[in-house]
Parts: sequence; structure tokens; C-alpha cells
Amino acid sequence: MTKVGEVLLLLLLPAFVPHTDGTRYSLPGKPTEIKCRSPEKETFTCWWKPGSDGGLPTTYALYYRKEGSDVVHECPDYHTAGKNSCFFNKNDTVIWVSYNITVVATNALGKTYSDPVDIDVVYIVKPHPPEKLEVTVMKDQGWPFLRVSWEPPRKADTRSGWITLIYELRVKLEEEESEWENHVAGQQKMFNIFSLRSGGTYLIQVRCKPDHGFWSEWSSTSYVKVPECKTSSVWILILVFSAFILLILIWLIHMNSHSLKHCMLPPVPGPKIKGFDKQLLKSGKSDEVFSALVVSDFPPTTSNYEDLLVEYLEVYVPEQQELMVDEGKDHDGCLKSIGSASDSDSGRGSCDSDNLLMDKSGAAKEEQQQQNQEGDQIGTETQGPKEAWEKETMLCANEDVVSPDASSKKVKTWPSVFSPVTPYSPSPLDPHNSLEMHKQNCLSDTQFPPGSPSSDHCIKKALQSSYWEVCFNNNQPYPQTDVHQQLQAHSDRNISAINDGNVPSNLLLPTRMTEYVEVQRLNEENKVLLHPIPSGHSREKACSWVGHRDNYSKVKGVNSDNVLLLQRDVVEEESMEMAGAAESCYTSSIAINTPKPTTCSHIALPVQEERVLAVSGYVDTATMFSLDTYVNEMKPVASKANTV
Amino acid sequence: QNHRRLKLVLLCVVTMCRAVPINDLIYRASQQSDKLHALSTMLTQELVCTYRVHACHTSSLQTPTDKEQALQVSESDLLSLARSLLQAWSDPLVVLSSSTNVLPYSAQSTLSKTIQKMQEHSKDLKDGLDILSSKMGPAAQTITSLPFIETNEIGQDKITKLLSCFRRDSHKIDSFLKVLRCRAANMQPQMC
Repeated sequence: MTKVGEVLLLLLLPAFVPHTDGTRYSLPGKPTEIKCRSPEKETFTCWWKPGSDGGLPTTYALYYRKEGSDVVHECPDYHTAGKNSCFFNKNDTVIWVSYNITVVATNALGKTYSDPVDIDVVYIVKPHPPEKLEVTVMKDQGWPFLRVSWEPPRKADTRSGWITLIYELRVKLEEEESEWENHVAGQQKMFNIFSLRSGGTYLIQVRCKPDHGFWSEWSSTSYVKVPECKTSSVWILILVFSAFILLILIWLIHMNSHSLKHCMLPPVPGPKIKGFDKQLLKSGKSDEVFSALVVSDFPPTTSNYEDLLVEYLEVYVPEQQELMVDEGKDHDGCLKSIGSASDSDSGRGSCDSDNLLMDKSGAAKEEQQQQNQEGDQIGTETQGPKEAWEKETMLCANEDVVSPDASSKKVKTWPSVFSPVTPYSPSPLDPHNSLEMHKQNCLSDTQFPPGSPSSDHCIKKALQSSYWEVCFNNNQPYPQTDVHQQLQAHSDRNISAINDGNVPSNLLLPTRMTEYVEVQRLNEENKVLLHPIPSGHSREKACSWVGHRDNYSKVKGVNSDNVLLLQRDVVEEESMEMAGAAESCYTSSIAINTPKPTTCSHIALPVQEERVLAVSGYVDTATMFSLDTYVNEMKPVASKANTV
Repeated sequence: QNHRRLKLVLLCVVTMCRAVPINDLIYRASQQSDKLHALSTMLTQELVCTYRVHACHTSSLQTPTDKEQALQVSESDLLSLARSLLQAWSDPLVVLSSSTNVLPYSAQSTLSKTIQKMQEHSKDLKDGLDILSSKMGPAAQTITSLPFIETNEIGQDKITKLLSCFRRDSHKIDSFLKVLRCRAANMQPQMC
């Protein structure tokens, strides 16, 4: 029937031609894109895409040929599967047999064949989507999750194993910008979805695929709403509250950060060196840094020595005798003992060297030093003056001799500090002048004491011997010149006057033999007072020693009363025994007076040990230091005892 | 049907008595066959432009053509068919592996690698099926011989033809085993 219709169409075609406007008619276009699919491996459907119809009604036909057979069959069903389709039912479907399918388009002008397509049903399986998708919200220990379940497509026979399906589902939040989240479920028909958002609505779809086939379409969407979490609001409140507390804590810590830091991380003490600048060190200028560390007052310069060693040796001559005048002393602190100089001690150094070893703290030391020096030098530094002195003594001896009583009078001489003032002080380094001066002094001295007995050479001796009286007037702030003048005046005028005025009663010379050695330190208030121990008898013996120089530079020892005992050293080679006797004869005590303004009181000068004394009786400078310590200890008592 | 039920019972008994459960063996075998077919499919899709069905050397073997026929085949027959097909392809795979040089250079490496894998899987499957068949009775032991005539190197068209035939036969094996798997998993429905 259709063929007749086609023939009629073809015959009538030219009749229609003049009715048209010149439209060309052509053969129908070739059908393309033949696609066949089988949903369950039992049936299959082929679809094609028709080409242009060529302006004419076009019909399509599908022909197929099975493998191994040349029989051409036409599509049994063009309608079941819709337009341009061909449905093959179970009876027409064989598996593991390839079909050769061709679609033919036919219009009035002709036919057009499509390209043949070979298919095998088992390779084109595309199942239907899963069915009965169910989603339920379930709870796992309070947390919700989705349980998705589905059924395989109805037609797919999975029970017999004819088709093996694997499933896949996807989930999405009901929001615009959310993405699908795919999950492969395998062969199972159930799946759990966790990590849900409370209160959110989810969309779920599922699809399936045979083991060697095509994925099905996605199933219809299933909607599910996750319920709100009840305790979320409570947690939010707790969270806000804790955040608030945390802020307060942070603020508190910030306010007390300094003290907390101090408590927990105590600062490490750094080095603190006076005068040390860390910043300078960091900047790299080490020279400046270290220069600041240099203490300016160390080491002491020599200019300080003189300040330390201002000592004045006061020689008290009981009778008129030559005054020992210092040679011009270059150093203020240099002690010069004026008196009978005995140069027996070869170790006499210069005044300077000895004085350099002393300092202010050693009062007794200085005194001893002074004693030593005086004893050593007998008032002069140079040999020349010494000789002059010797001569002088000799000269003096020829003259009137001051009685021992007169010896109580003290002639005090000053060191060269006062040399410009004192008339006695000769021009420095002029032995001749000194000699003359000494002569004069001697002469003048002899004139002074009115009642001074002059008799024997003993007195000369006494005169020759130097009396050293060291008197420390602690609280007598004489200006130097005043004292000097005062004493000078005394010596000038009247020794006895001096005696009376300045010398306490206890300082009266007991016997002729007693000798006083007085060393006065004028620039210091302290005076070291030497108090001789009278031993008059032996003195007479000693009086025969003419030409000997006595000096009290030797410390015999310290008695139990912590009194420094100076011994008279008589240098006489001839009469040793006399010397020994003299040693025993003359002892004098050195006393450091306590702070009394005008008078000299006796202060025992303790000596630490007797062996401090050398064999020769000289006190070493080392021992002087030890004496210094004692003097220092006595400082509270004798505040100016360190003037020696 | 009674015959089949008896065999089913026998299968179940065998399943319960043996230490190694048959289900696992079948499952494992089906997995192997699946892989085998996947490889062949991949190879065919790369090298074979169009699917042309030609007569395969295994065409003489009668296999079910639709689902009803397939479901009516006994387990032993299914296994026998699978084993026969598998056996029929051991030689051709060797020939294929040695004939890669005729192909274009870009396809040679792919072919050689894939054929090697397929050979391995075939070997494993064969061993497993041998064990399985020993547990299923004498009917499963029969193997239909399907000789492969070609022993020399073959041309490119031959290669593509062979690959196409192997794709089908591997699918058959896989299908049979999966049907067998579902049949043995009556107690475990989740397998199917």
C-alpha cells in the first residue's frame, strides 16, 4: 500500500512542480546518528536523526541484518519508542549477535541510505534509573545523617545475575551555589550521608550502570530537610559568654603585663660597672668605654707623696746647742732629724727615698721613719751637711754646754718646709752655710737657757744628741707657719720658755742623761711625743763618749704597756761595752699623744711584735707598716696619729 | 528441573562442606572475568574503528542467545562453557602478543601491555575455574576444544578481528560466571 502511494507521489510530483515557486526538490537527507540502546539486555531501541527531507514528505525505514545471515529485516516497531525510532522486542533481540542496521529515508524523489551501524546488544546496555528513592533522616548519637535507599530499575533483572548494576548517588544543598557531591555506592542499594548542616534541605539523586554498559539517567530528585539542632542556641550562648570572659582576661593580663612579666620572667641582672656605658660598648667604641673605667686617682702620683709625708722633725735641744737645721729640703714630707748625726749606719738613704715609703696612715711609721732618718742622717741629706753637722757638734761641744736641766728645754727644729721662714734653715745644699748657721745656732742656743747648767761634755753630748720629740697635737690646727714661728720663737728666745709653755711637766727631763727626741709635725695636729725613760746614772758613763753621735733612731722594743722604746744608739767602735751600756742606758719612749690641743700626751704606740725590731735595733719599714696598722686602729683615739 | 535442583542441592552441600567456600571462588572468578573483558573492550575501542563481526574460531560453540536461554543453562554447563571459551583463547593471545609489530608504532605498546595483562588474567581465571569445576562434579569438567588454526604472525586486519572476537568471548565468560555467582548466592542475596 505504501508503495502505491509512493508511485502516486512520484507521478504527481511533476504536477506540483508548476505550482511551486521554483523550489528544488531533492532526495531526502541521509539519516544520521543511529543510536541503539538496550535497557535490560533483553530489548533494544534504535533512534536516528533524519536528514533534510528534500522538500518532500520523507519516510524512514530501518533495516537490519543479523550476523551470519543475509536476510534483511525491517524494523518491527516504529512507534513504541517514538518518532524516528525502532523498537526491538524480546523476540527480535538476540545477544552476542551483531546487528547491521541501516536507515533509509525515502521521499518522492528517491531514497537515501544511512551509514550502516553494527551493534551488539550486550554492549549497548543503558538501564533505566533506579526507582523508589527514599531518603530518611536518622540520628547517630545525636548527630543526624541521611539514609538513602533505592531500588533497581524495574526491568533490569539483577536477581538472576543477568545484569549486574552499580549505583551512584549525588547530594546537594538546596542553595544556588552549592555543588553536587557524588558518592559511588557499588552494588548496594543503600547509602548513608553524614556531615549534614542542621536545618538544611538536601537534594538527592541516584543512577546506575551495568558492569559493561552506560550510565543511566539520574533519578528523580528527592528532597529532605535536616532538622535544626536543639542545643545549638545554648552552645552559642556559652560560646559568646566564654569569649567575653576571654576578652576580660586578656585585658587584665594586658593591664598587669608588666608585673606579670616581672613575676614570671624576672629580669636578669646585668653587669653594672661604674662608669661603664653599655650603649657605647654596643656602638663599638671600646676606647671610650674603657677609658671611662680608668680611675683618675690611681696610681697615685708623686705629687701626693709630699702631702702625705709632711713631717716635721722637731729636735729639742735641752741646752744651747746648735740647732740642727735642715738642709734645703726639696720635699716637704721629708723628715730631717737635726742633731748629732751618726753615720754609722751605712744604710741611710736619702730623705726622699725613705719618705716615699710612708703615707699618711702610718703615724708611728712615719715617726719611726723620721726617727730613722734623723738618726741616720742627723738632719742632713747630703754628706756634706752631715759632715758639717758633725763638725758642728764638735764645735758645739766646745762651747757651753747645756745642762741636762736645760736639756729639758727643747729646741725644736723644723724641716725645710719652714726653711724660708726659719732663720735656722740654711740655704739648701750649702754645707758651709749650714755649718756657719749651725755654729751660730749653737752659739745662740747656748745663750738661751739662762739657768741651763753647762758643765761637762755630757751636756755636749746631750746637745749633740738629738732630742726628738714627736708631738702630735691632734686638735691643734696650727698653721704651719704659726707653729713654726712659735717654735722658732721659742728656740730663739728662750728654750726654757718653750719648756715651760709647751712642755708638760711630765716631759721634764729627769736627769741630765735623759734625752728627749721630739718630732713635731706642724701641718698635722698630731704630735708624736717621745718620752724618755730616765736612766741617769748610766748617762754619766755615756757622757764620756765624746765625739759620738747619738741618735734615737733605733727602737729597742715595745714594753708591756705597748710603749715603743727607742734606744739611743751610740756609734762607738772603741767602746762597745759603752755602747751596750748606752743602749741599756738610754731608752726613751715614744708616745703618741691623744688628741689634746696644746700638750702632748703620751700614747703608747703598740708594736705588734718584738721581733719587729731588727737585730740592729732599727725598725724596718716593713715593720713601720705594721705599726701603721696599729696606728690606724688607734685612729679613733688619735685621729691624727697618722701624720708620721 | 529436578535434575537441576539436585545439582543445586549438591552445590549447596558442596558449598557447606568445603573449607573454601565456592561462593568466594565464584566471586573471585567473576571479578577476574570482569577485568578481562574490560581490558579487551578498551583494546578494541582503541584499535578497532568499527565493529565488524566476523566468524570467530569459537563460533562453533553453542552459547545461549538470550536471557531465557542463558538462565536455563545449568551451572556445570555454564562453567564448562566458560572454561572452554577461556581455553580457546590461550593460544590466540600468544599469537597476538607476538604480532604487535604490524600495528602502527603508537599502538604497539598499548597492545603489548594489554595483551600481557589479559594473559595473566586468563591464567588466573583458568586456574580458578579448574578448581571450581573440580568441586562441581564431572559435568563441569568437559571442555569443548576450539582450536585456533593460525600459528604464524597475522596481519593487522586479523588482529582487529581477533580482538573483536576476544571481546565477545570474554563477555560471555563474564556473563556466565556472574549468572553462576547469583545462582550460588541464594543464601547471600547481597551478592547479586
